[in-house]
Amino acid sequence: MEFYKILVPVIGTDADEEAMKLACRLAKKNKAKIWAVYVIAVKRALPLDAEIESEIRTAEGILDHIEAVAEEQDCEVDTDLLQAREVAPSIVDEAVEREVDLILMGVTYERRFGQFSLGNVVPYVLKNAPCRVILYHQPTA
Amino acid sequence: MKVVIMGCGRVGAQLAALLDAEGHLVTTLDTDAYSFRRLPPDFNGTALLGNGIDEEALIRAGIEEADAFVAVTQGDNRNVMAAQIAKHVFNVPRVICRIYDPLRQELYSTLGLEAFSPTTIFAQLLKEKLVS
Amino acid sequence: MYIIVVGGGKVGYYLTKALLDEGHEVLLVEKNVTICKNTVDEMGSVCFRGDGCEASTLAEVGAGRADMLIAVTGDDEDNLVACQVAKHKFNVPRTISRIRNPKNETIFKKLGIDVTVSSTNIILEHIEEELPTHSVTRLLDIRDKGMEIVEVKILPESTTVGKAVRELSLPEESSLCLLLRKQEKPIIPKADTILQSEDRIIAITPLESEEVLRATLTST
Repeated sequence: MEFYKILVPVIGTDADEEAMKLACRLAKKNKAKIWAVYVIAVKRALPLDAEIESEIRTAEGILDHIEAVAEEQDCEVDTDLLQAREVAPSIVDEAVEREVDLILMGVTYERRFGQFSLGNVVPYVLKNAPCRVILYHQPTA
Repeated sequence: MKVVIMGCGRVGAQLAALLDAEGHLVTTLDTDAYSFRRLPPDFNGTALLGNGIDEEALIRAGIEEADAFVAVTQGDNRNVMAAQIAKHVFNVPRVICRIYDPLRQELYSTLGLEAFSPTTIFAQLLKEKLVS
Repeated sequence: MYIIVVGGGKVGYYLTKALLDEGHEVLLVEKNVTICKNTVDEMGSVCFRGDGCEASTLAEVGAGRADMLIAVTGDDEDNLVACQVAKHKFNVPRTISRIRNPKNETIFKKLGIDVTVSSTNIILEHIEEELPTHSVTRLLDIRDKGMEIVEVKILPESTTVGKAVRELSLPEESSLCLLLRKQEKPIIPKADTILQSEDRIIAITPLESEEVLRATLTST
C-alpha cells in the first residue's frame, strides 16, 4: 500500500499519539504529507462560527502536542482546527477536500451502557470515507 | 356541577364514575367508542364520540354550559390544546389538564393553566414511600 | 437568520430545503429516526432527532437564539404546543404554525401564534377562484389592519350593471381601488364610473364587511 496524503483526526488521547507515530512511519517511504485535524463540535445553542475560547485553547494544545510527537519522528505535519455541528461528517469532508488516500485514527476502548462501543465517529468514517481507513486500537493500560 | 371530561381512559372513566355517583352531570368525550366500556354499567352521564380539540365536538358535549373541563387523553399536546380552547374560547370557569411531560407541565402552569404531571407526582410519591 | 422547522414530513422537507437554498441557517427537528438519517445523508447536519414540543429538545437545538420557529407536523395540537413552548419559554420572536383544521385559525390566533397557514384553506380558495359562480376572490390579507384586498366580478345578471359607483351603498371603510375591463387599461373608479357586465373590481375592505361588499356589488 502506498500513501501520499494522510489525515490523522485527533481528540487528545494516548491512542492519537501512537496513531500519529504510525502515520509518520507510513509517510516516510513516499514523503507523504500528513494533516492532523481536530474538530470542535459546536452546540446548536451557539452559531457555527462562535469562538469558544476554552475549546479553542484545548484544541490548540492537543494539536501542538501532536505536532511535537511528529517532530520527534522527523516528520512534518500540518494542523487543522475545524468547527462543525457534528464531528464525523466534517472529518469525511476534510478527507474529500484534501483528497487524502488514508485516514488513520486511534480508537480508545470505551464502554457505553455496559457494552463495548466505537462511538459515533468511527462507524460513520468507516462507512463514508472516500479512501482507505486504518484504525489503531491499543489495550487499556 | 356540569363537567366535561375529555378522554375516557382509566383515569377519565374513573373520574367520570366518581363524579356521576355523587350526582354531578358528567359528559365524557373520546375518539374511540371502545373506551366507553370502562364506564360502570350504572353510569347516568353522557358518553359522546368526538375529538376534544374540535370546537363542534366540545359544543355538542355542552362545554358552553359546563362548570368544569378536564383533559385526560394520552396526548399531552391534545390535552393542552383542548384545555386552552375550554379556557380561552369557551371561558369554562374551571379547567384542569394532565401533562405527562414535567417540563411542559411547568411551562403551562406558569402560563396560567391548571396542569398536573402524573410523572412528577408519582415519582415524588414513590420516593417518599421509600425514604420515609 | 436561524430558523427551526418542526416536523419532517413532505412540507417540512421541502421547506427546509427551500430555506437552506435562501442561505438561512436551518435545523429540522424530527422524531423519526429514518427520516432524520435520510435528511442528514442528503442535506448534511441539518436535522436533529427529537420531539420539537419538548422544552428540553428546543433547549438543545438552541431555540434561545432562533429568529423563527415553523411547526409543520401533521397534527394541529403538536404545532400549537411547539410554537407556544418556543414563544413562551425561549422568546422566539416569530412562530408560524401549519394547521390542518381551518377552524383552528381563530383559536391559534387567540392563543398567541403569530401566523397560521392552513393548507386546506389555501386549496379551497384556489378551487373557489376557479368556480364561475364564485364572485369574490381574496387577493391579500392585511392582517395588522384587519383589512383585505378582494377581487369582485360583476356578473351579467347583476343589478349593479349600468349603475354608477355613487349609486352603490358600499359598506363603510370599503373602497373600490381599481377596475379591470376587457380590452381597456385599468381604470381608477370614480363616483360617476358606470359598471359594466364582466367588470372586475379590485376593492379594499375590512374583513367583517366582505360579505356586505359582495352583496352590494353582485346582487341579482
